[in-house]
Amino acid sequence: MPYLGSEDTVRELRRHLSNPNVQSDPLRYRSSILKVIRAMSQGVDVAGLFSEMVKACATVDIVQKKLVYVFLCSYATLNPELSLLVINTLRKDCQDPNPMVRSLALRNMVNLRLPSLAEYVEQPLSAGLRDRAACVRRVAVLGWAKLHNLQPASEIDAAVVNELYGLLRDPDPVVMVNCLRALEEILKEEGGMAINKPITHHLLNRLGQLDVWGQCEVLRVLQRYRPQSESELFDILSLLDASLVSPHPPVMAATLSLFLVLCPDLPAVSFAALERVRGPLLAACGSASRETRFTALCHIQLLLRSLPGLMGAHYKRFFCGYAEPAYIKQRKMQVLVELVNDDNVAMLLDELRGYCTDVNADTAQAAISAIGRIGRSYSDQCLQILTGLLGLQQEHITSAVVQTMRDLVWVCPQCSDTVCSALEGCEETLQDSQGRQALLWLLAVHGERVRSAPYTLEGFIDGVRGEASPGVKMELLTTTMRLFVCRPAETQDMLGRLLHHCIEEETDMCVRDQALLYYRLLRCGMEETRRVLGGRRSEPSLGVLIGRPAEPISQWASSFNTLEPLKQGAGETETTGRASPQHVTFDLDSDLSDTLNSGAEELDYVCLEERIRCPAVPHCSPQSLQAAMQLVNIQTLAFTAAHASPWRVYLYTHAQQAARSALILGQLLYAGEDEDEDEAGLSEGPSPRGREEEVKVTLKQRPRDEKALQGFLSILTAVLHTLPFNTH
Amino acid sequence: MIHSLFLINASGDIFLEKHWKSVVSRSVCDYFFEAQERASEPENVPPVIPTPHHYLISVLRHRIYFVAVIQSEVPPLFVIEFLHRVVDTFQDYFGVCTEAAIKDNVVVVYELLEEMLDNGFPLATESNILKELIKPPTILRTMVNTITGSTNVGEQLPTGQLSVVPWRRTGVKYTNNEAYFDVVEEIDAIIDKSGSTITAEIQGVIDACVKLTGMPDLTLSFMNPRLLDDVSFHPCVRFKRWEAERILSFIPPDGNFRLLSYHVSSQNLVAIPVYVKHNITFREGSSQGRFDLTLGPKQTMGKAVEAVLVSSQLPRGVLNANLNASQGTYTFDPVTKMLTWDVGKINPQKLPSLKGSMNLQAGASKPDENPTINIQLKIQQMAISGLKVNRLDMYGEKYKPFKGIKYMTKAGKFQVRT
Repeated sequence: MPYLGSEDTVRELRRHLSNPNVQSDPLRYRSSILKVIRAMSQGVDVAGLFSEMVKACATVDIVQKKLVYVFLCSYATLNPELSLLVINTLRKDCQDPNPMVRSLALRNMVNLRLPSLAEYVEQPLSAGLRDRAACVRRVAVLGWAKLHNLQPASEIDAAVVNELYGLLRDPDPVVMVNCLRALEEILKEEGGMAINKPITHHLLNRLGQLDVWGQCEVLRVLQRYRPQSESELFDILSLLDASLVSPHPPVMAATLSLFLVLCPDLPAVSFAALERVRGPLLAACGSASRETRFTALCHIQLLLRSLPGLMGAHYKRFFCGYAEPAYIKQRKMQVLVELVNDDNVAMLLDELRGYCTDVNADTAQAAISAIGRIGRSYSDQCLQILTGLLGLQQEHITSAVVQTMRDLVWVCPQCSDTVCSALEGCEETLQDSQGRQALLWLLAVHGERVRSAPYTLEGFIDGVRGEASPGVKMELLTTTMRLFVCRPAETQDMLGRLLHHCIEEETDMCVRDQALLYYRLLRCGMEETRRVLGGRRSEPSLGVLIGRPAEPISQWASSFNTLEPLKQGAGETETTGRASPQHVTFDLDSDLSDTLNSGAEELDYVCLEERIRCPAVPHCSPQSLQAAMQLVNIQTLAFTAAHASPWRVYLYTHAQQAARSALILGQLLYAGEDEDEDEAGLSEGPSPRGREEEVKVTLKQRPRDEKALQGFLSILTAVLHTLPFNTH
Repeated sequence: MIHSLFLINASGDIFLEKHWKSVVSRSVCDYFFEAQERASEPENVPPVIPTPHHYLISVLRHRIYFVAVIQSEVPPLFVIEFLHRVVDTFQDYFGVCTEAAIKDNVVVVYELLEEMLDNGFPLATESNILKELIKPPTILRTMVNTITGSTNVGEQLPTGQLSVVPWRRTGVKYTNNEAYFDVVEEIDAIIDKSGSTITAEIQGVIDACVKLTGMPDLTLSFMNPRLLDDVSFHPCVRFKRWEAERILSFIPPDGNFRLLSYHVSSQNLVAIPVYVKHNITFREGSSQGRFDLTLGPKQTMGKAVEAVLVSSQLPRGVLNANLNASQGTYTFDPVTKMLTWDVGKINPQKLPSLKGSMNLQAGASKPDENPTINIQLKIQQMAISGLKVNRLDMYGEKYKPFKGIKYMTKAGKFQVRT
């Protein structure tokens, strides 16, 4: 940092330091050195004083020594030759009767960070390893690690490594932990120190003597150990049980992480451990330190991925306080969304409603999109809140609400009526491009149902000259085109104006290209245009169903207690939900079944075909089918609308087995009464009772496990028989 | 593990830096400044900032950012806990942890940081041991040092490091042997509009000041130890004994230390000491609003509620407030819109109230959100959770110590929504 008058300051300080009067008075000498340090901490470049400071190093005054060392350690790399002068003083100090002086000298000798001094340092370091005083040994052990860092290319002295391994048995716990740290650094290229059974048990037995930091270190190193037998594993786990509920969050987190690594094949044990840490984790969420609270929240999010019910009863702990920082509030809302259920939904929504008017725009936006996420399961209540928020006519709130509605409509098309009626008039408050893009997207998809859609568009098209965002312009083009398809009379004129502007005057290449594309499309005729544009709109009964299944712990175990979960959220909020879904034309029936069936061409892939008599199935509503399936842990991928023919459902499940987890894919097919024989090539002749009441089940699994398949089939049959007969 | 530490003040100046491994250039903090600029308020800076070659993990305490530079993957809780420990140590040494205090004591700060970390690994963080290595500055000692030229560095190696009990030095001697324990509880609560509790929890600590000769072995028992569901002890407490008998048995460190801290979070156990009757309304189309607030004691076991301070952030549209306090004084800052009412002690016979009207900006629409009320208070001689110490016994030494226990309840984050 350039500092005004630094030249003068340095000159002044040099005059002081070299004044013999000052040097003879220890008090004045020390205060001059103090001034140098102070200038250094303010960013003044005092490197020029190096030789004066080297002289000041030869003193009996410990404070002065410490001060000079602070200076030398920062500037030694700039003056390697002069630093040689210091090494003698330091080596003399290493012989001092006072252990504190010895450790100080030893530590700073290595801290000079000069590779050229290495040869002078090794001998005192070796002596330090055998020193009587524990504090000298502590420094010496780490000294070797620093020395290795200085010359990473140099060979590792096997004798030193052996001595370090030996010092793991040192009576002083800090020396032991420092040995771990040093060995980990020195042997980094070999993958860290060797962890065998005696070392593991020695470390575990001394865990109680260590301070918090030491415990974390030991627990981290132990992650590399693989117990040889199950009984040994359980011995280790029971030793660790006390630190699992440790009141210190770092120890608790490190222990849980070790638990998860040690028993990846014992899900029951891992789940029990997760239940055990719930208390300490919740306590960390209420900790006085914001940063700890934040970290605990991020880790809770990880846990919830596998055990969604873990925090169910404690949802109130995640309500936001008034003065909490935005990043905590946003995380808490993400957790709240996961915890929603029938009993608390009203309370949660009420709480989230309160956050929507937060002063911080980001927090308000996060609250609104949280409501949108809940809306996927509880659409009525959420839409009511969202519509209410539009009434506030606040710019950022309206924008967030429109974006949320767009996302919601895509997954829950049954909400579209409410959304369409709410949209009227909100274009006036929308200012930012994201919000306007969302509004345009909604108009494109549901334009025929919004009465004022052409007028809204007209407003946009009139202002297109002043429009800066290319995204909005492209969205506007698409919307006008799609609206033209369904309401040609009202839109023809403005479409013409818009295309003219975009092709003739627009400078942005993407916008112009899209306009040209649409222009050419229109010349191909109305039929063609309708076919290309009027593609898929999400069908109410169709679409990939939400509701994440519980993930296995191994998915995230490796990122527990690392920086990973803390970063994730930040990235997520930037990418998700900020872009409109593409208007793709996508013929679902052919596409989806083609892709799924392509695997069937391999011979041994279809494992089981069976017919189940179940008249109700093709007529029952998708919601009840899905609910029934989820009760027995079968996830539904997609299905066709009720009464469609042929009627299909795709589903899958994880077979829980100790050895491996097996995925079973399944297809239910109801071909209808009037199917022709060829198309349903899968069926083998009519059954006596009439085929229309039978559903064909095809199951796929690899590797094939007959027992699992039969079990799955019997469960599936049982579920299908319980379905209510829904006549309409 | 921890590469470097930068101390940054609220206006974005680095006023202290310390490197334990190689020197990391100050320019790494530019990423932090970027995040600071983006955050609307100082506390909104995210605690973890990834940069191309490092991670910055920061902690904000006393309006100072303590930014640790990390080069490889680390357990985040570890670093955060350590940074807080650094701040606690500074506070312990200098009384306050402000930029001025750190700059005045820059030498002690460097010495402390050097002792607390070596090569990026925590070394000595126990305040008892640190205080023997480096004596904390006091006014008297600073004066004596300037006259005699002596230093604040311990000349001898702390004996504690070599003793069997690492947190206690050997050969302690006092003429008056005394042991004091303070049970301090803070109640965090959110009360909703209708006066029912949304969340409430108690964070309690027992701070001790023990000045006893020799190696005393103390046991402390509670009347109702089941109250404490989530306890964190000083390392001196024998955990096995607590698990089995719910008795605290320990050889105390010498001097001041925090014996334990605990949470009481089950809601039925958390008593709410005061109630608030409020009526804050803004009418549509008028530039007037009504403000009416009355406080009263609720569950205080007959103890007086003292040092009550009510503060509330009024909506932006409020120009000024014409209020009448039946007791104490109130101030309204028209710039920050912060209303503060210093009530003092609550007299149950004559409840304090604050009534009057607020003037709103002409033509502005009705504020869409009612203000939240924050309350601070103190109750002496009572722990609101009902925790009571049963007895304190001393073994291992012959003399009779003087024992004292004090209880106190404070409001932590106590909010009432209106």
